[in-house]
Amino acid sequence: MDHKPHVRVWDIPVRLFHWSMVLLLCLSWFSADQGYMRVHLVSGLTLLALLLFRIAWGLVGSTTARFSNFLHPPRRVVGYLKGLAGGERIFHAGHNPAGGLMVLALIAVLLAQVATGLFANDGVQFHGPLALLVSEDISTRLTDIHGLIFDLLLILVWCHVVAVGFYLLVKGDNLVWPMITGKKHRAHLPEELNIVFTRLYIALLLLAVSAGIAAWIMIQGESIL
Amino acid sequence: MGDSGISGRRSGHLSAFVYFSCVALLTLAGVGLAMLTRPAFGHDMLQWIGLESVPQAQATSFYARRVAPVFETHCTSCHGDKRQKSDLRLDSFAAVLRGGKHDAVIHPGDVKNSELLVRISLPALDDRAMPPSGKTPLTEDEKTVIKLWIAHGASGSLRDIPGAPKPVVEVEIPKLDPARTEKQRAPLAAQMLRLQKRFPGVITYEARDSADLEIDASLKGRSFGDADLQALSPLAARIVAANLSGTAVGDASAPVLAAMVRLKSLRLSGTKVSDATIHALDEAKTLRSVTVVDTSVTARALAPLRARGVAVYGGGDGP
Repeated sequence: MDHKPHVRVWDIPVRLFHWSMVLLLCLSWFSADQGYMRVHLVSGLTLLALLLFRIAWGLVGSTTARFSNFLHPPRRVVGYLKGLAGGERIFHAGHNPAGGLMVLALIAVLLAQVATGLFANDGVQFHGPLALLVSEDISTRLTDIHGLIFDLLLILVWCHVVAVGFYLLVKGDNLVWPMITGKKHRAHLPEELNIVFTRLYIALLLLAVSAGIAAWIMIQGESIL
Repeated sequence: MGDSGISGRRSGHLSAFVYFSCVALLTLAGVGLAMLTRPAFGHDMLQWIGLESVPQAQATSFYARRVAPVFETHCTSCHGDKRQKSDLRLDSFAAVLRGGKHDAVIHPGDVKNSELLVRISLPALDDRAMPPSGKTPLTEDEKTVIKLWIAHGASGSLRDIPGAPKPVVEVEIPKLDPARTEKQRAPLAAQMLRLQKRFPGVITYEARDSADLEIDASLKGRSFGDADLQALSPLAARIVAANLSGTAVGDASAPVLAAMVRLKSLRLSGTKVSDATIHALDEAKTLRSVTVVDTSVTARALAPLRARGVAVYGGGDGP
């Protein structure tokens, strides 16, 4: 049995996905704010490709990436949070039950955000690639929802950052560093670990398919014009 | 493939209370920063917590009477209650001052930095022009109204601004009601048909939707005389305008003219009428203008008409 102090818990695809999300969210926010709508379009479609990839990776990826690993029934999440409030220090190799819920929420909200963005318009000179498939009224309504979801997204991201800060500063458990290096100190891990890492070429294959879907949507949008 | 956890108790670096207190402060600071950098958001928040009143414009203000209607015509379909492009609404005084996603679009007293004015002043083909391509642009008068309103402080109480273009008064043209007109004309239809045959082009209805009549015998010249006018007398009460200039009518027609009780305009230039005819018009209370150029009518006879405000052309001293 390997007894190195640091153990790999996150695979490269999960880590790249995570930080790509951070960058693309910032880019999407900035580009929409400044009116760089072509950049916003590319950023949004890249987000879509990555989200599709992440969903697939959540089904067939490495142990800590799988939904089955981090999605728990509500009772278990509540129990975990109660333990946390009671001062317990419970370590998980992947996402903890509350974190898993946050991942699900973020992916769902991001998907909704990207989906509404595909049909949105800025009322002047730009519209999402699929906006012409629906009426102007529906497109405008989806644009409004796109704006509202963004506010929700900001709140979720803030909650996520606050939670990570809580683990770092209150619980003494650094969740950020492992998401960069992929490795976690053995002291912050359960004793029994059984993490299986899926091969990288499968991730590349899934990413190619996801990117293909996003590109196809963009081409469909161009062809409508 | 569930994960297993280990549990235990160990103190962290900060207490949860201190941490969440810091988070609360940071959150407040973030909201404060957003309020400073996004004035529209700032106004929304301040109004929401009751620290700022919602600006209202008076119904009689220049804004309500002149500026708001321009926004209503050109802007609120995209910047109103149904749509808020760029988070901007222009359907209330408060919303106009609030501005949009990026900043206020009106800077009171500062026309150069008021984005709204800049946008509506751009050439139609400019990507940033408002209203966008395909929509009706503002007229020069409408732009001037907005410019003057901003220049004078974008007030919600100021009533008038000197130099503002006069408002366009919308006139509602009543719809034609052919059935109603036909009904009104019915009592005189037979007479009209007969007289129109006898005097082609001389007697006509005043308008498409009217049963009032006009007579114009000026082209008949001297061939139209007192007897001819007498023939029209059954319809005298419906005649509102009579042009008898250049005809052979004289004072013998005075009773027929007097019977035209709704007459508004009478032209008798170049006829043989005299003061006697003018005296006969004393009862024509609806009369607005009389033309008696090249007649023997005197200014004295016309004086009572002038005193009533009737416009008189010709006769003695002239108008």
